Amino acid sequence: MTPAVPTDLERFRAGVRDWCRTHVPNGWRDAQTGVSDREFVDFQQNWFHELAQAGYAVPHWPAEWGGGMTVGQQIVLYQELAAHDAPRLVLAFVAIHHAASTLLAAGTAEQRARHLPAILDGEIWAQGFSEPDAGSDLASLRTAARREGDTYVVNGQKLWASGATYADWCLLLARTDPAAPKRHGISYFLMDMRSHGVEVRPIRQATGESHFCEIFLHDVEIPAAQLVGPENGGWRVAQETLSAERGMTMLELAERLGNAGFRWLLDACRRPDAEGHRPIDDSLVLDRLAGFETEIAGLRAMCRSLAVRHETGHVGPADASVVKLYYSELLQRMMNFGADIAGLPAHAELHKPASSGWESGAWVLDFVGSWEWTIPGGTSEIQRTIIAERGLGMPRA
Amino acid sequence: MSGDLSEFHEELRSVAREVLAERRRLGTAEETATLDWPVLAASGWLGLEVDDTFEGAGATLAEVAVILHELGRSPLRSGYLGSAVLGVGVLNLLEPADARDELLRQMAAGGVRLAVGVPTGDDLVGPVAAPFRLERDGGRLRLFGGAAFVPDAPDADRLLLLARDPTSTLAVVAVEPTDAGLRVVEQPVLDLTRHLGEISAEGAPVTEGSVWRFGGDPEASARRLVDRGALAIACDSLGLAEAMLEATVEYAGVRHQFGRPIGSFQAVQHACADMLVQVMVSKELVAAALGALAGDGPDASRAVSMAKSHVCAMAVDVVGKAMQLHGGIGYTWESGVHVYLKRAVLNRSLYGSPATHRKRLGRRYTDGVPVARHG
Repeated sequence: MTPAVPTDLERFRAGVRDWCRTHVPNGWRDAQTGVSDREFVDFQQNWFHELAQAGYAVPHWPAEWGGGMTVGQQIVLYQELAAHDAPRLVLAFVAIHHAASTLLAAGTAEQRARHLPAILDGEIWAQGFSEPDAGSDLASLRTAARREGDTYVVNGQKLWASGATYADWCLLLARTDPAAPKRHGISYFLMDMRSHGVEVRPIRQATGESHFCEIFLHDVEIPAAQLVGPENGGWRVAQETLSAERGMTMLELAERLGNAGFRWLLDACRRPDAEGHRPIDDSLVLDRLAGFETEIAGLRAMCRSLAVRHETGHVGPADASVVKLYYSELLQRMMNFGADIAGLPAHAELHKPASSGWESGAWVLDFVGSWEWTIPGGTSEIQRTIIAERGLGMPRA
Repeated sequence: MSGDLSEFHEELRSVAREVLAERRRLGTAEETATLDWPVLAASGWLGLEVDDTFEGAGATLAEVAVILHELGRSPLRSGYLGSAVLGVGVLNLLEPADARDELLRQMAAGGVRLAVGVPTGDDLVGPVAAPFRLERDGGRLRLFGGAAFVPDAPDADRLLLLARDPTSTLAVVAVEPTDAGLRVVEQPVLDLTRHLGEISAEGAPVTEGSVWRFGGDPEASARRLVDRGALAIACDSLGLAEAMLEATVEYAGVRHQFGRPIGSFQAVQHACADMLVQVMVSKELVAAALGALAGDGPDASRAVSMAKSHVCAMAVDVVGKAMQLHGGIGYTWESGVHVYLKRAVLNRSLYGSPATHRKRLGRRYTDGVPVARHG
């Protein structure tokens, strides 16, 4: 099903290049600018299908499930996809990363067999973790799951579930023991989004898009077989799989920022204004660019090291927080600089191409959108506390 | 192989850490905190990069970098940079010859102290700016020029000076500081852990035999030498920052105010978290530059400029934050934080400022050199 991957990296690179030349849709950026949700979803699903057929959709998965690429091969793949300006997998992100790593680390054999092949066929996942009163303090979540025979009955409200409108399944954290200390009463579920009692409402965000959603849960029944890990052991499952997973997701994002992101920035700096002046002829602009290129080089190297440590089981307790914090703040600073350089014309770009990722070249929208990295998934402040307490062993507040 | 090597690095690192920390403890007055030459000579670190045919260890820059990193962690006045890093570095770039080979042999045994006259400041963009030139005066060669802030020059027995010969070809002139027409003047600096000097030559007569030729392309070789200096300083700054981060975390864990350790306050925690992130990124940039310079790839200068500019600026920020978080005690002479701060600030200027190195990087954006997709 999955074509064999050449082990020689340069041969592999040549193969990816050939594939990109014939498969990256021509003119997709223009075609995907200002499209409807339906068109976006169709485009994402088609692109995912193309990648899956080539064996490029889930390179980080174990070979037996259709992945099996080395870290080196993954880097080459991400570099070439970015260099050929391929669309990003936005819709499948939670499925191929968070859902898969959870299933692989803590799922039962039945759960893996049910979902991993389905994800490769395009099953879409959302993450139901945060709640209105459980953001940074996630462990205080109140959505309750009450056991009734072979079923859990769930009531509550989830927030910031990216892509939930289109999702088939949801990774759900719910409280199963209200009496236990807050981290010890949480369980981890796989929830079918078509279950009775699930209601999804999109939230319009700062960029004007509506990828984030609220999920309302009224007496939703989840079969006990869809519990991941032990009952009341969900916090640990979530912590372990999320931090371990982060390294692999960052590998792609760092290569994107280094290839597509920096190239867009250079292009913006080379573009002459009406009087023919180019920002790049200003030595201060060159200085900033060199600084960004250097920081990206550091980020990429750090992500590679983390991916290697991930493979060999040597990930430090705060390593994932370090890369998330550094990536998100570097992205934000770069997009800020891009918006500054691109000036007034960038404010007239009212839409960015859907599927273009975090650095689309629509600088003002990209800058506004960069808070989607410094706030979700643990704010920068939470990451710093994790780094201090777990990474450096500083006394707890 | 890589397993053996990392074991060797760990052993080298732990021995160096112990020896150097002990020397720093002994040097209670900053003025006397030195790694004495006999100790350095006995350590075997001077000959790490000397080939084993000359009784050296036959190791590489990667091993020298371990010592440099440790010397940053425990900053002491020593002759390591001038002799083992730049001295051996330039000798290894030269054509084999009896005099050169003899110097390498002496170096491995700790029998000679060297200083290398290459640009120490911001002459980095464009062709290598040789600080010295050879002129032919009748049948004789004479040396002119000068180099300032040369590490370990005041203590050196031999000076290896980068010069352009009468045909404008780069070469190395080997002289002694006592030779006629040469002057070495100590340049006291605020950082007491460095020993810098100004070398000047005003028509010093030079024999043909003391003009040594590079083994490879002279321009590329000289570039490598300058890059080596810059990268050595980046390794040192990384060590400085790492040690100050550790010291700050430790201090914040024991210093109590408002009835709790100051390390439990978020303002302190988050500052330390930022320091760790910066140190981790810097580690990667140094490792990448070490790999690039060892591999002699065309991108070596790029990787070195990235490491030098980022890491040396980072170290000033991190050490500065360490002084801040140590509070009043951090500002005292006795605490020793100022030693790290002064060395970090000097490191930032030595062998090219961050702005200069970024200028070297930035030229690629306008010269049409392909930028992305490296690595």
